[in-house]
Amino acid sequence: MELARQPNFSLDTLSRQGELLDLSKEPLALEVNDLNLFYGEKQALHNIKMQIPKNRVTAFIGPSGCGKSTLLRSFNRMNDLVDSCRIDGAIQLGEENIYDRKVDVADLRRRVGMVFQKPNPFPKSIYENVAYGLRIQGIKKKRLIDETVEWALKSAALWDEVKDRLHESALGMSGGQQQRLVIARTIAVKPGVLLLDEPASALDPISTLKIEELIHSLKERFTIVIVTHNMQQAARVSDYTAFMYMGNLVEFGTTDQLFTNPQKKQTEDYITGRYG
Amino acid sequence: MKISVNKWFASGSPWIFLNAAAVAISVIMVAGLLILIAVRGLGHFWPADIIEAEHIGKTQTTRVIGEIADHREVSTDQLRDAGYSFPAEQETASRLLLKVGNRDVGGADFRWVLERELRNSRYPETLFAAERTEWGNFYGYLKEVKEGETTVASLTSANHQDLWNALQERIARARQLHEQIYEIEKHEIGTINHGLERLRLKSRSLELKGELTAAHQAELAADRAVFDQQYKGLQARLSELYRAFERDSMIAEAMDGSLVEVKISKVVRAYLPNSMNVVDKIGFYCAKLWEFVSDEPREANTEGGVFPAIFGTVMMVLLMSVLVTPFGVIAAVYLREYAKQGLVTRIIRIAVNNLAGVPSIVYGVFGLGFFIYFLGGNIDQLFFPEALPAPTFGTPGLLWASLTLALLTVPVVIVATEEGLSRIPRSLREGSLALGATKAETLWRVVLPMSSPAIMTGVILAVARAAGEVAPLMLVGVVKLAPSLPLDGNYPFLHLDQKFMHLGFHIYDVGFQSPNVEAARPLVYATALLLVAVIALLNFLAVTIRNRLREKYKALEN
Repeated sequence: MELARQPNFSLDTLSRQGELLDLSKEPLALEVNDLNLFYGEKQALHNIKMQIPKNRVTAFIGPSGCGKSTLLRSFNRMNDLVDSCRIDGAIQLGEENIYDRKVDVADLRRRVGMVFQKPNPFPKSIYENVAYGLRIQGIKKKRLIDETVEWALKSAALWDEVKDRLHESALGMSGGQQQRLVIARTIAVKPGVLLLDEPASALDPISTLKIEELIHSLKERFTIVIVTHNMQQAARVSDYTAFMYMGNLVEFGTTDQLFTNPQKKQTEDYITGRYG
Repeated sequence: MKISVNKWFASGSPWIFLNAAAVAISVIMVAGLLILIAVRGLGHFWPADIIEAEHIGKTQTTRVIGEIADHREVSTDQLRDAGYSFPAEQETASRLLLKVGNRDVGGADFRWVLERELRNSRYPETLFAAERTEWGNFYGYLKEVKEGETTVASLTSANHQDLWNALQERIARARQLHEQIYEIEKHEIGTINHGLERLRLKSRSLELKGELTAAHQAELAADRAVFDQQYKGLQARLSELYRAFERDSMIAEAMDGSLVEVKISKVVRAYLPNSMNVVDKIGFYCAKLWEFVSDEPREANTEGGVFPAIFGTVMMVLLMSVLVTPFGVIAAVYLREYAKQGLVTRIIRIAVNNLAGVPSIVYGVFGLGFFIYFLGGNIDQLFFPEALPAPTFGTPGLLWASLTLALLTVPVVIVATEEGLSRIPRSLREGSLALGATKAETLWRVVLPMSSPAIMTGVILAVARAAGEVAPLMLVGVVKLAPSLPLDGNYPFLHLDQKFMHLGFHIYDVGFQSPNVEAARPLVYATALLLVAVIALLNFLAVTIRNRLREKYKALEN
């Protein structure tokens, strides 16, 4: 009898090989300055200040309702969709403040892509799902679209599984495949920053590993910000970790340091499982 | 005991029984309705045997010939008042409705007789029935077939079979000639008339603009001369055809013994029902049924077919769907996606829902006042001044009827579309927005395609409602008899300004406006059945489309 297939995956490729990170020396992708966010009367984020380094994986951890998803969603202005949401402060993406009046929100969202908790492929074919963003950008050349779709699917480690059924419905795929398809769809429009909102929380362990592997391989080309409930996952995939609590950024540092030598009592309590 | 009844109630079974009973009653009522109209309507086309009998009246004995159309029991009291005598213990007597036809001879083509007054009933094989284009059916014995003034066959010189064959041959010839005449009158002359009308309008419009120069006039006159030439040629051919068409006649003996000469050009078909076997009758039945759905009406709509009405109904419903869908969808998208939810949108929703409850005749009045007199009148002033004072769009027509019904049904489409939009998961919208799509792009590429099954549900409800509406149509475009179909070979092919016929109105017209009530009654049932069938078919079409869309966009919820 054949044993359950072992995922082709080793923890060594994911750990950061002991490389020494220093935030002050990193080029920055995003810079958050005194961000306050309110839902109606209720303040959800308090005076957030943080710098997200380029081409690194930054993880947000914290108990439910601590504001980590809200912070993530303010990076591509998804919070604009909530009527009662009010924001002050600034988020710098390169040279520009994304909350400036002149910013084209649709273009911003292309440049800062987002993957959600639950896989949300469109009820179209696999090919059309990946081509969607390109078509929105007005690209009509079939060859260019074909090439980009192939590149995106390969980057998302999905090409080999779907290359023979590109024109079948995306809804027939497994949950893990769907989530990788959504990642492929997002990177197809070549964003600089990739926001992942608990991308593996609805998936089984094998699919989760695949996603983590993918995150690791994508950081060469994208700045990745990931929200996760799972501290082991944060430890495995990220270079930097931010711990948030009650809408405050409690501690932010390299993942090694935060998990092995937390500076704050709250952080230590959380990662040792004393609450949360 | 009481406890067990309580338990029975608590178990919920009485409610299940109640539900089942309600469903059963609904099913029985629908089936009963369909069976009633099917039996009454479809029986009409069956070739009934013709009875011949002696009728013993109060003063004299006469011969009656006809089909038995109805059979009723009447109370003898009533008949005693009318001067009949019955034994004291008899309470009812049966009375027959005979379709005796021959309206040109006897005046009335239906006659009530008491069954006991008929003696010596028989079904002679040579008794024949002829459907005619005027004066209704003829029943009697064939005596002679004539070509012009000369007799080609008669019972004295030939046997009945040969005489009958001679008649059938001549009917076939006359039908063929009739088809040619119809073709010329309807299409070729119709095209010429259409061309002449366009020339007239062109000349009038040039005149209105003050540009009618001598050169134009000469050109128009030359065009007109071409048409006139064509018309003269056709006219000559027509009169020749008519002469050939009118040549033959037959002489037959009617019920009262008189000999009647009937032009064969007036005969649609002749048959010997008493000598037909079941297979012949089934063939005849199918032919009649086909004639009903494919032919034009004759004799004030009580004979012939209802094809123009079917066509008008379908056309109007399709046009209505084409108008109502974008209108309703756009309104729903604005209400659900763009408008700020609050008091105003709530009031608008209430208003939309109330709009669905306004009696349909009110829409008819609105359509007449606003669409026809105001909009149509202005369109005529602006675009068709050359045709004035004859209105083009300022008169009831297909477009206004469709628009009025679109207004009547737009609330259902709005409500169904809003329902569909609200069911698209937020995550899909966010997925699209996160890829750099604007809200409009997201709506157009993701949300609307996924709501299309719900939109189709709205359209299905709209079609079901619109196809059954009659009252507003009487004000905005439906007529008893339309001279031509709204779709034909003359530019611009679809004539939105034309009046049209409608099955629903046809039922009303045949049933209640007909001079010949007895003859019309079975047609009312047959037309009603057809209307139900047409609506069912349109709905089936829409449901099929919706199911395909559903299949395509399924699994959006989970």
